Amino acid sequence: MKIMNCPLNGPRNISEFVWGGEVSIMPDPKSVSDLEWGEYCFIENNTAGVVREWWCHVPTSYWFIAERNTVTDEIVRTYPAGEIFNKRVEFAKQSEDKK
Amino acid sequence: MNALPKTVPNGLQRRSFLYRQLQQAGAEFAEVNGGAVAIRYGNNEAVELDRAKAMGIADLSVLPRTGFKGTGTVEWLQTQGLTIGQESNVAYRQSGGEWAARLAPTEIFLVDSLAGSGQLIDRLNQSWAWGSEKPRKAIGYPTPRQDSHAWFMVTGQHAPDMFAKICGIDFRLHKFAVGQIAQTSIAKMSGIIIRTDLGTTPAYHLLADIASADYLWPAVQDAMKEFNGGPVGLNALRRLEG
Repeated sequence: MKIMNCPLNGPRNISEFVWGGEVSIMPDPKSVSDLEWGEYCFIENNTAGVVREWWCHVPTSYWFIAERNTVTDEIVRTYPAGEIFNKRVEFAKQSEDKK
Repeated sequence: MNALPKTVPNGLQRRSFLYRQLQQAGAEFAEVNGGAVAIRYGNNEAVELDRAKAMGIADLSVLPRTGFKGTGTVEWLQTQGLTIGQESNVAYRQSGGEWAARLAPTEIFLVDSLAGSGQLIDRLNQSWAWGSEKPRKAIGYPTPRQDSHAWFMVTGQHAPDMFAKICGIDFRLHKFAVGQIAQTSIAKMSGIIIRTDLGTTPAYHLLADIASADYLWPAVQDAMKEFNGGPVGLNALRRLEG
């Protein structure tokens, strides 16, 4: 069985994990175009090589980030999402902005 | 521990969702904190104790358990007198025999002692309250576990070998210490295993989705068959604990 290292729980069978898509940085919702927003929400780059992806350890519902080589399917590194997402994102109230 | 009087599960306010299966296996019930707990299975007491030492499983689902989660949880529980260490995936024993299982940096699953009085859990539930100050002080929030997780205890020398058949984690005694937690897949179900030995007998709490308890109870016993394992009552566990 393929083994993945969960940052919270340690090495586990790959069957305990689900894939959650590419990690991408959110564009500024106030200035972004609809096309860019749609791309951020729905389009995958499908890079051949090392990519950053969301993975979830299902028994603990723990989401983290894995760097994986999509050509060789090797898992390079796994780490808590807090390494990248380390600042609170404040969403301005759109309706108030327009006043 | 004094022998508990026999009773029937239907006569009490709370009973295990497995009580029909327990009855079929020959369980005798007794009242613990208002609920009907299987205390023995009609065996000779010494025989049941030997089974618990070798390969047994007990249904503790009627006993009290709860949880707390969120930023500030551990700090708040510490102000309430609980002893909780830094490490996650470790369970910390409390003075009354309860175990505070730190599932994540800000999440605690609290299981009662085998006495099952619920004293600590009741006190915490009564003390917990968000204050009126703003911004609100982060003390976490309760995550009730009584109706979310079934609670079994797997006991005996063969427990690590049995778990090896249904789970990918190494539970051998020199690899998986007392107090250690595994949150993993058990017999294809997500679950939590916590090692808390009873005296010299290896013992593991097994907590998993309550709605699938009817599946998990016989599934684990099926894996126990080759070790001549079977159900044991609360009396045997209490005697092992001493």
